[in-house]
Amino acid sequence: MTCVELQESLAENEKANNAAQRAHLKDCPHCSALVAELLVIACAAGELRAANEPSARVWNSIEIALRKEGLIRPQRAGRSLLPALSSGWGRWLIPVAAGLLVTAGILVRQHLPSRQVANNEYTASSASTGVESEAAVAGLNDDDLIQEIAQQSPALQAQYTENLRHVNQYILDAKSSIAADPNDEDAHRSLMEAYQQKSMLFELALDRSLP
Amino acid sequence: MTGRIIEFAVIGASLATTLMAGSLAAETHKEYRFNVGPRAGVSVNNPYGSISVKPSTGNVVVVNAVLSSDKVEVDNNVTGNRVEVVSHLLPGADARSGSIEYEILIPADASVTLHSSTGALHVEKLRGDVTLEGAGATVDVRDITNAHVHIKTLNGPVTVTNVQDGHVEVDSLSGKVTLNQVTGPLVQVISTSGGINYTGDFGDRGEYRLTSHSGDIEAIVPDTTSADVSARSVRGEVHDDIHLQPRQHVPYVLEKGSAFWGTMGRAAVSSTVVLRSFSGKIHLSKRSAK
Repeated sequence: MTCVELQESLAENEKANNAAQRAHLKDCPHCSALVAELLVIACAAGELRAANEPSARVWNSIEIALRKEGLIRPQRAGRSLLPALSSGWGRWLIPVAAGLLVTAGILVRQHLPSRQVANNEYTASSASTGVESEAAVAGLNDDDLIQEIAQQSPALQAQYTENLRHVNQYILDAKSSIAADPNDEDAHRSLMEAYQQKSMLFELALDRSLP
Repeated sequence: MTGRIIEFAVIGASLATTLMAGSLAAETHKEYRFNVGPRAGVSVNNPYGSISVKPSTGNVVVVNAVLSSDKVEVDNNVTGNRVEVVSHLLPGADARSGSIEYEILIPADASVTLHSSTGALHVEKLRGDVTLEGAGATVDVRDITNAHVHIKTLNGPVTVTNVQDGHVEVDSLSGKVTLNQVTGPLVQVISTSGGINYTGDFGDRGEYRLTSHSGDIEAIVPDTTSADVSARSVRGEVHDDIHLQPRQHVPYVLEKGSAFWGTMGRAAVSSTVVLRSFSGKIHLSKRSAK
């Protein structure tokens, strides 16, 4: 597998954990660093706050620009796919249908695990739970990393396991700080730095310097 | 009896001499020389063994390598103005038989990248960018001027001494990081469980950020320091032995013993210093006069 093939294959398997991808990453520091960075970005993106959503003015400006470019065209009169809905009782059907859809969405969301709710439930006590929580932190595949280290350099396995435990605790502590005060900029920066440390751990493990 | 002792001594000496000769014979010395242009790039990847880099005279890269056995060889490649040296482990090599000790001379303006898992990494007296990576490598960087220094280690200790006027970024998961007289527009250390020690005056107009999740942070500064210093630890203790002019408006509560924020020296010409830990201790103290 070449570097180009690996990067194309990431679209299907962004964790780069199939045999061909792993074999290439073992010998290619450039691609291994790229994969480590992509994993960090993918995990950190979920932490972006809603406050980072652009304002309505931004969306309006984008729409105006797209209309000027001709990428958005106004719908022509008389070519509606739903002509029967353009008059009479049909006018009320669309907003009613929209309301029903929103209600259904709320009901479904209440029954699905919420990522935001899960984040708010991270507390100091939950930060000390066992292996399962640590393994799930940040979504990076810790088991694969330890397995790789065990195969390549068994003598280093204990060191990497210990450092992995510390950095996962770092991430959990940063998340608990954010949960306690979502406006704490220091806490947000700590979370990014924690992910950066974890990314570096993976990078060092996959680096060509590992004997 | 005396004769027997002498006999044993002779046999022992002969055996020791034979073993020593055997080990010396297994070692191989190699030297490589490469002519390069200004601002060359030099990269060395050595899984086992140390790498020492010092400045050369003229535009030449000189690589002296001591190979511990025939289970390892030196591969080198020159592409344009870039020299790449790789220790190639042959089948059956281990940490002992696959070790190479490098002493490398490069032009002072060249940039250098070193990778090693276990060996010591030493760089001194350069003006080009320095990038060092190693899991357990001991890192020692000194006397670097007007260049960027990037260091990444897993648990190897890092010492940076007399590095000025460049960006210094150190990432170490659990290695102890020691900075002596390190100043520049940006100095940043991030550690998960390693301690951070800074001794110096934080220069002027730079940004300094020392962060450790659970390691302790110690900063020792002289009376002449001008800096705006903020320190905060979520669960650890925070102490300052220096009279700081308190800052009036801060974005978080300055709980005594957990945080402080103030200015020392001349506020108009000062660096910004940020000390952060989650559970480690933070201590800002004055350097005692000799």
